[in-house]
Amino acid sequence: MIRALVWFFIGYFLVAYGGRVLLHLIGVPALLRGLALRPFNDMPAPHSGFEPPVSVIVAASGDVATVIASANALLDLEYPQFEIIVVCDDGMPGSLAAVQEAFQLQPFPEALWRRIPSGEVRTVYQSFLHDHLRVLDKEGFGRADALNAGINASRFPLVCAIDPGLRVQRDALQRLAEPFLEEASTVACMSHMRVDGAGALPRSLLRVLQVVEALAAFVFRRVGWDALHASVPMQGDIVLLRKDVVVEANGFRADSECEDTELALRLHRSLLARGDRYAMRFLPDPVAWTAGHDSTLAVIRPRQRWQHGFAQGLRRNAGLLAPAGLGQGPALPLMLFFESYGAAIEVGGYAFVIAMWAAGLLPGAVAGAFLAFTVSLGFLVSATALLLETLSSDLYPGLRQLARLAVVAIVENLGYRQLMTFARAAALLPRRRPTA
Amino acid sequence: MRLASSFASSVAFLLIAAAVRAWRRWRQARIARIEASWRQALEQAAADPSAGALLPISWIEFPDFLLLWNRMRGSLAEDAAANTAELLRRHGLDRRALRLLRFGTLRSRLIAIATLGKLRDERAWPRLERLARGRGQATSFTAAHAMLRIEPRRALEALTQAILQRADWPVARLGSVLAELGPATVTPTLTTLLIARPRGGLDRVVKLARFGERKRVAPIMRGWLSAKQDPDLVMAALDYVDDTQELTWAMEAARHPEWRVRMAAARALGRIGAAAEIPALVELLKDPVWWVRYHAAQAVAGLKGMTPEELQVVRDTARDNFAADMLAHALAELPIRRRRIFA
Repeated sequence: MIRALVWFFIGYFLVAYGGRVLLHLIGVPALLRGLALRPFNDMPAPHSGFEPPVSVIVAASGDVATVIASANALLDLEYPQFEIIVVCDDGMPGSLAAVQEAFQLQPFPEALWRRIPSGEVRTVYQSFLHDHLRVLDKEGFGRADALNAGINASRFPLVCAIDPGLRVQRDALQRLAEPFLEEASTVACMSHMRVDGAGALPRSLLRVLQVVEALAAFVFRRVGWDALHASVPMQGDIVLLRKDVVVEANGFRADSECEDTELALRLHRSLLARGDRYAMRFLPDPVAWTAGHDSTLAVIRPRQRWQHGFAQGLRRNAGLLAPAGLGQGPALPLMLFFESYGAAIEVGGYAFVIAMWAAGLLPGAVAGAFLAFTVSLGFLVSATALLLETLSSDLYPGLRQLARLAVVAIVENLGYRQLMTFARAAALLPRRRPTA
Repeated sequence: MRLASSFASSVAFLLIAAAVRAWRRWRQARIARIEASWRQALEQAAADPSAGALLPISWIEFPDFLLLWNRMRGSLAEDAAANTAELLRRHGLDRRALRLLRFGTLRSRLIAIATLGKLRDERAWPRLERLARGRGQATSFTAAHAMLRIEPRRALEALTQAILQRADWPVARLGSVLAELGPATVTPTLTTLLIARPRGGLDRVVKLARFGERKRVAPIMRGWLSAKQDPDLVMAALDYVDDTQELTWAMEAARHPEWRVRMAAARALGRIGAAAEIPALVELLKDPVWWVRYHAAQAVAGLKGMTPEELQVVRDTARDNFAADMLAHALAELPIRRRRIFA
């Protein structure tokens, strides 16, 4: 029995990690095509006038100075037509006055179109300085509700929620809108925000660990899933959505812990149920940057929040794991299964092998070999991700940086990855309180 | 055994990454060294077509040279750009670009296709035509673009079916290319297609019609105002309504069951209407669809000869809350819209 279980866990690790390497390889043609097209994409191109206008929604949170700085930066985005809607609610008392002063806001008699439920909007303000900036003052019911209010006030067919504090590239909207121009059935396009330091790796080991982890887990694995039509937003993504489908789905759910992911799962479910042809795309190119976290706890918290929210979203859209989810092939249910329950099975494997060894039921050599095997598989996944990074964006060029990334990839698999897996598995425990 | 093979594969992947980086670094350093001399030769040739000389360019560097030429050409005046093209021909680089069409990587083939298009090299036509018919999205579209640069009218004729039916050629990109060619060149093809009303791809032609000469496209489009069965056509036609003679059509479209048609009718009434059209627009202000109300309010606010005081009267007399709110919204937007126009 013990032997059988050990073989089961070995088999699981082989399938899960081998699958990740396979996903990296599946993404290679798309990455190489992007590389071939880069010289053309980098040349200034005239706008055709068909670019769908975008409403950027900023749900104000955290420090008001950051909100103002973010809105100012977003005003400089390069895109033919866009508007910015900052939503201030009761969750940030005093923020409205500061924003009002910074952008010279004046009350505007907006004829709001309430298509999706949201808290009461008290006043809509129009900036005197920037024609395409409006601010909503509303009751505070959290980020999802703020985004819904922003969608109600938005005038354009694409909407993009951007959190304050993100450093968004000026061409971000152009890049994210590209799939909508190329394929009319695109309903969402997402890109993962990267840790600051393009060109040179951060000094802090923890930040480099986040870089290495993100390359494998949040970027290149998803290029493979994208090729298999199985993209879902993850923690730290910036997502551009088609507003009509969001409105049809009744917007973001305020009771969801991870509203972007939950909405995407809901969209997958409803569009598959209707038999619609649709595409949710993932872009490997960076469009937004963040400073990264400077403590292990700070890294773990959002990871747990996302994992909990993802499991919650999947429970509400459980049909996706059933035959109904096979509408675009088997990839989506597989992805959902591994992303939601994979961490728990991995932890089960570690716990079982260590417990059996401690109880004297498994020889130390076998337990050690099992753990070394999992480390080697993790390193293999990181190594393929580093190869893809070299072949595609090459954000950290040079041999010295590759050597540093390779060393950190080894370190990552000697504790960091396992810690993250434990944290994600713990987030699945039923009695656990949300860590928001 | 599995452990060892897993570690060996990881090391192998890292070694490949290291090799790619080392090769890329060597290549970049090499290009950086040569690029200054290429740039200098191109600048000299831009000023004087007989000046400028290039050192021999290896096959590895050739796509990078072409890329530099493509980039520099974009910032030069037409005469100067033509002079630099002469430099390429003088050194036989046009013939080398032709060869690259057959043997290069995807990147170098795309660069060669773009270059031959900008050089207007007719020898490339048969090969480009084959590539434009091919399945690869990037290659086929770049080849079509090159053909349109070489001989626009002939290319438009050859590519008509592809323009209508190739879903992998986004309308937005086609729009950029047609805009580059100019209304005079694209109008004959567009008008022929608009008159023919092909079964497949008419929606694409209707979208692209805006790149033709308005005075020649508009009469055909306006002829569709009677196409009651197809809301998309009526909507497209309403965008070309700019004469009071079409008021009757616009008023009829304002009662269309499809909201997008009513919205287009509101816009058309705003363009050609006057105070007499206010009652029809006030009806549209009560429409259940927000966008129809919004465009009706914009139309009322933009009617010729309407003063802010008159608009205020319309707003005060609107008995419907929706209409009053939307008019207040439009009135508040007026100064913003004016600022945009004069900015």
